[in-house]
Amino acid sequence: MTEEKILLDHGSGGKASHALFSDMILPLFENSELSKQDDGAILTVDGTRLAFSTDSYVVDPIFFPGGNIGDLAINGTINDISMCGAIPQFISVGLIIEEGLPIKDFQRILEAMATAAKKAGVKIVTGDTKVVPKGKADKIFINTSGIGIIPPDVNVSGSNAKPGDKIIVSGTIADHGITVLSSREGLKFDSDIKTDSAPLNKMVQSIIQSDCDIHVLRDPTRGGLGTTLNEIAAQSNVGITIEESFLPIRGPVQGICELLGFDPLYIANEGKVIAFVPQKDAQKVLEIIQRDEFGKDAVIIGEVIEKDPGKVFLQTVIGGVRIIDMLTGEQLPRIC
Amino acid sequence: MALKYIEEYRDGSLARDLVKKIHSVSKKDLRLMEVCGTHTMSIFRHGIRSVLPRGVTLLSGPGCPVCVTAQKDIDAFVEFARVKNVIVTTFGDLIRVPGSSSSLGKEKADGADVRIVYSVFDAVNIARENKDKEVVFCGVGFETTIPTIAASILMGIEGKVDNFSIYSANKLTPPALAALMETDGVEIDGFMLPGHVSVITGTDAYRDTFEKYNIPAVIAGFEPIDILQAILLLIQQNEAGRPALENAYPRAVSDAGNIKAKQIMHQIFEVCNASWRGIGEIPSSGMALKKEYQKFDAAIKFGMDMPDTPEPKGCACGEILMGLKTPEECLLYKKKCTPMTPVGPCMVSSEGSCAAFYRYS
Repeated sequence: MTEEKILLDHGSGGKASHALFSDMILPLFENSELSKQDDGAILTVDGTRLAFSTDSYVVDPIFFPGGNIGDLAINGTINDISMCGAIPQFISVGLIIEEGLPIKDFQRILEAMATAAKKAGVKIVTGDTKVVPKGKADKIFINTSGIGIIPPDVNVSGSNAKPGDKIIVSGTIADHGITVLSSREGLKFDSDIKTDSAPLNKMVQSIIQSDCDIHVLRDPTRGGLGTTLNEIAAQSNVGITIEESFLPIRGPVQGICELLGFDPLYIANEGKVIAFVPQKDAQKVLEIIQRDEFGKDAVIIGEVIEKDPGKVFLQTVIGGVRIIDMLTGEQLPRIC
Repeated sequence: MALKYIEEYRDGSLARDLVKKIHSVSKKDLRLMEVCGTHTMSIFRHGIRSVLPRGVTLLSGPGCPVCVTAQKDIDAFVEFARVKNVIVTTFGDLIRVPGSSSSLGKEKADGADVRIVYSVFDAVNIARENKDKEVVFCGVGFETTIPTIAASILMGIEGKVDNFSIYSANKLTPPALAALMETDGVEIDGFMLPGHVSVITGTDAYRDTFEKYNIPAVIAGFEPIDILQAILLLIQQNEAGRPALENAYPRAVSDAGNIKAKQIMHQIFEVCNASWRGIGEIPSSGMALKKEYQKFDAAIKFGMDMPDTPEPKGCACGEILMGLKTPEECLLYKKKCTPMTPVGPCMVSSEGSCAAFYRYS
């Protein structure tokens, strides 16, 4: 037997990533905040609840249709904080740059970060820059962390899903992963797809500030919608059922998935929210999301059920049923 | 944007009509086998088992190229990755398949240059760009893939790319069907024949096997309507006691198949015996490079001849591939063997029946 090593699979966001977290990371760092396993930690300081989150970006290529690693890194952390029900305020940026990166590329990335932060209304307040010798990193890696304030009375968590909740997705799925994949060397598709990378803080604010109950908010990034729904089913100990015919997927994205054998349910999104909302408020929340510039294609895709806790079912177009498991095996490395 | 040939063949009301017909026709208990990994995946993906009558059992036969690859061939791929200055190129599914001591994924983590390609032509291009290295392509495929591998050899000759070679663990479908029919204990009431393979081979390639064994056989496409239609035909043939070889995928498959692809395939390769995982050697079921192209044969170039190694103890991949066991009947399934820690290739490949069972049921 060869010595156990970290494999790409451990970074997929699927089963191997979860095992790495629960078997190695959590036991050593264990505390009540980390154990909740939401997109960010909820911290209470002098009676104010803060959401604190961090994420690293290693996407390849660093430029792709609709964005680059810079705005991706800002939007990603803004969204992680927003999914805690918080209003993002401050962001830190850590840059690890490979020697030889063209200055004009670096400039483009910084400009994209500045624009994204401005659009979302958050400040980049601290940071760090390191340069490593050529070949020791790939062009540029970015870490962003952020802090947001959770308004009083807001209580969203992946563990709050309740039977009867309707599940809303804020738009088409799999756009980001397929865009990045199709801009890679050797896979040039002639299509007009682009990343969905977008800040969701304003959309989230308008729903949490409405008088509607919101149980869960989550952005289905790495591992895709399928993995995220599994996480929520496990955290809340409920079953989930979704309708295949309701899933919003762009034609070209579907086409590329068919061609390469990918399941859009497991492909990363960077500008989508999944909201679990009690039935009484579902229609209203859906309409609020649809009014947002990033939520026009929002739809209800399914609901939470009492039986089969921890499991996610898909009602297929032909009237059959299949189980949606977490992603196993790296579907697409370095997508974010 | 509507996707032609997808939306029409996923039409919900058409599918429900077919399901109704299947229920009204079906009387006998039947065991139908698909011999294509893409069928296996599609059957799970669309929840087809959940709409069929209880008496109709779908079996996943030897149709996933990764799953039928013998242990010694996997070991050879791992060995190539360990040779200095060799770039191993492969389709993605092979990366995680465990050999006797390691996998391509583990060798990659150890620093070996293992690259996933989407086409064998990418492997030729990698060779062109890395003249100081040797590029080996892991040839694991059926009639669908073999012609493109043959074309890559022609591309190598034309471009004078002499640092490119392939290891051929390629296999042919019809001999495997015949071998299944000859195996004791195998009970199959009909074959759903592979759509992609048949595009190349044509319906005619199955005629000898059909005439010898007189078993219902229907060539099927991959959308739910295609598959339901093929199942309906197989049931109708069984109920009427009139086995036939039918083509239910005429929009892609002709009687003669793709003549040009077959020509290229037979120009470069010749039929040989081949080892199938769990099944053993099947006569005339493999494709080896002809003598005049042996400079592209990685096994010869590197003197690679791995010993036959037994498959992991308890792994029932072979019996599962022959429909003798279901994945749930394998002692390792969901215990020692999961997609995270696969023991056999049927659990690794996305088209493998164990992985599909694990993921979807």
